[in-house]
Amino acid sequence: MMHLSWSILALTHFSWPVDGTIIGIYLLATMVAGIMVRKYVGGVDDFLVAGREMNVYLGIASLAATEFGIVTAMYTAQNSYDKGFSGASVGICTAIGMFVVGYTGFCIKPLRDAGVITIPELFRKRFGNGVQWLAGVVIVLGGLLNMGVFLRVGGEFLAVVCGFNLNKIEMVMTGLLVGVAVYTILGGMLSVLITDFMQFVIMSAGLLVITLLILHDVGWNKMVETVHAHYGAGGFNPFIAVGMGLPYLLINLIQNTAAALTWQTQIARVLAAKDSATGRKVYTRTSFFFVCRFMIPGLWGVAALAVLKPEAFNVLPAHGMMAENSLYAMPIYLSHIVPVGLMGLLIAAMLAADMSTDSSYMLAWGSVIYNDILAPFRKTPWSEKKGLLWNRFIVAIIGVFLLIWGLWYKLEGNLWDYLQLTGIIYLASMSTLLIAACYWKRANNWGAYSAIIVGAVVPMIFLFLEKTWRVPVVDPITQVQKIVAGKPETIDYLRSRIGPTASHWTGLTTFALCWVTMIVGSLLKPGAGETETMAQATKGAI
Amino acid sequence: MAVNFWYIVMIAVLVWYSTITIYVAIRGSYDVKHMLANLKKDHADEGLPPTPGK
Repeated sequence: MMHLSWSILALTHFSWPVDGTIIGIYLLATMVAGIMVRKYVGGVDDFLVAGREMNVYLGIASLAATEFGIVTAMYTAQNSYDKGFSGASVGICTAIGMFVVGYTGFCIKPLRDAGVITIPELFRKRFGNGVQWLAGVVIVLGGLLNMGVFLRVGGEFLAVVCGFNLNKIEMVMTGLLVGVAVYTILGGMLSVLITDFMQFVIMSAGLLVITLLILHDVGWNKMVETVHAHYGAGGFNPFIAVGMGLPYLLINLIQNTAAALTWQTQIARVLAAKDSATGRKVYTRTSFFFVCRFMIPGLWGVAALAVLKPEAFNVLPAHGMMAENSLYAMPIYLSHIVPVGLMGLLIAAMLAADMSTDSSYMLAWGSVIYNDILAPFRKTPWSEKKGLLWNRFIVAIIGVFLLIWGLWYKLEGNLWDYLQLTGIIYLASMSTLLIAACYWKRANNWGAYSAIIVGAVVPMIFLFLEKTWRVPVVDPITQVQKIVAGKPETIDYLRSRIGPTASHWTGLTTFALCWVTMIVGSLLKPGAGETETMAQATKGAI
Repeated sequence: MAVNFWYIVMIAVLVWYSTITIYVAIRGSYDVKHMLANLKKDHADEGLPPTPGK
């Protein structure tokens, strides 16, 4: 356990009597609401998809709250701190993908009409039990690796903004996770929806108030001047920005559309909807939120760039934090400018954002473990009572994993790149399988197996090489290896050869290979003809 | 040109998000009420215990 002193402690405006009370009231209200609805959970369907009784506005609140956590605020602010306004272009890519999927019903209509709980369950109908099981394993692997950094990043945000010691924040985050786990374990999706709704309101109020404060503090003109001074035209135009360009925009458009189709926490809102029309409305009407999701913290990041001087980062400890200092620019800036009282609202808003994300993610991956990884081994169906017990046990185990992984894993490189890469482990193959299952008659299990394996192996090789194959960072003038914080600086080999777009190219390659292997594998299977697609099978379904 | 684009995006974000927050807060509370009522009714129809958590 590290014992780090934070010189920022004296700078933050966090006040225990005022801000602590606001946060305490929020936490108490959330816990009470989350636990109270447990009495409506009668069976596994209630626990995993809220009895499919969710309507449009509750769906919008839940989807928005789930997809915005502290980790989101951190990487989107970092993106804009590092890239200027161009960093917020990811939000536009995401919104386009989600709107198109919602408007057309592409894949999500047959998926909801099929009446499944998870995506791999749909794959079983088309490709068989083996594909369901393997898809479940890959989804859980990618999802948990992705979620693994949430706790640590969230804790570090609170540590910087509130001026807590890192060892204390580990206890705070553990307590928070236990609280979230309690209401998720007891109430499942019902508790998640109710608390998401409350958290959406608190989170949105906090985000808007803090944004107005920042705009008043820094001003739009100063933000524009700062971005122009640091990044030139590239700070406003992602097509010409360093480290972005077409590969960056393309992978974000493709990956975020794939997420709208298959990311279990997003698709869970479609599956919990009353019908496919409601699910589609939730998507179309939430799509613009994804522009806000990148623009609002993006403004915070740009404001930090305008205000903070390089020595502001001296408050950070040399060890124990993530790899890149720019990740902490936004929380350092907020710790300086947010006054007492509003600090409580800010922390409550960010806790709301984090808790709604954690609960939904635990439930989402838990539902896949229960429904798709354990189910194939059951000889006889479990009773509702036993099914509920297993689901609750799995959510608890995921909570324990998050604690261990969150404290152990140290991130290399940009946070958004890490999240993209771990997401691709399943997004590339699952989106390929889903589209093929819904619309391609020749698709079969050979193609499905090939795409799943390739989709998981390529990004995992990249992650492995990133950790193991490292080369020295050499000063271009002196040709001597750089030293940072008393340690020789190194960089992973692929980034040293390809540059900052290495992970974007890895992502694009993974998507392309998944489609190639799906097509080639399906066509190579001897004697395989055409079969009914899921779109045809569910045509006319209610 | 590009600066104006991001200025319009920022204004759109602030206006849309403020509006949707209030609208969803009101309409969402009705959705919560109806969802819980429907679940209670469904459980009563199926003969499930209405309050298994208690």
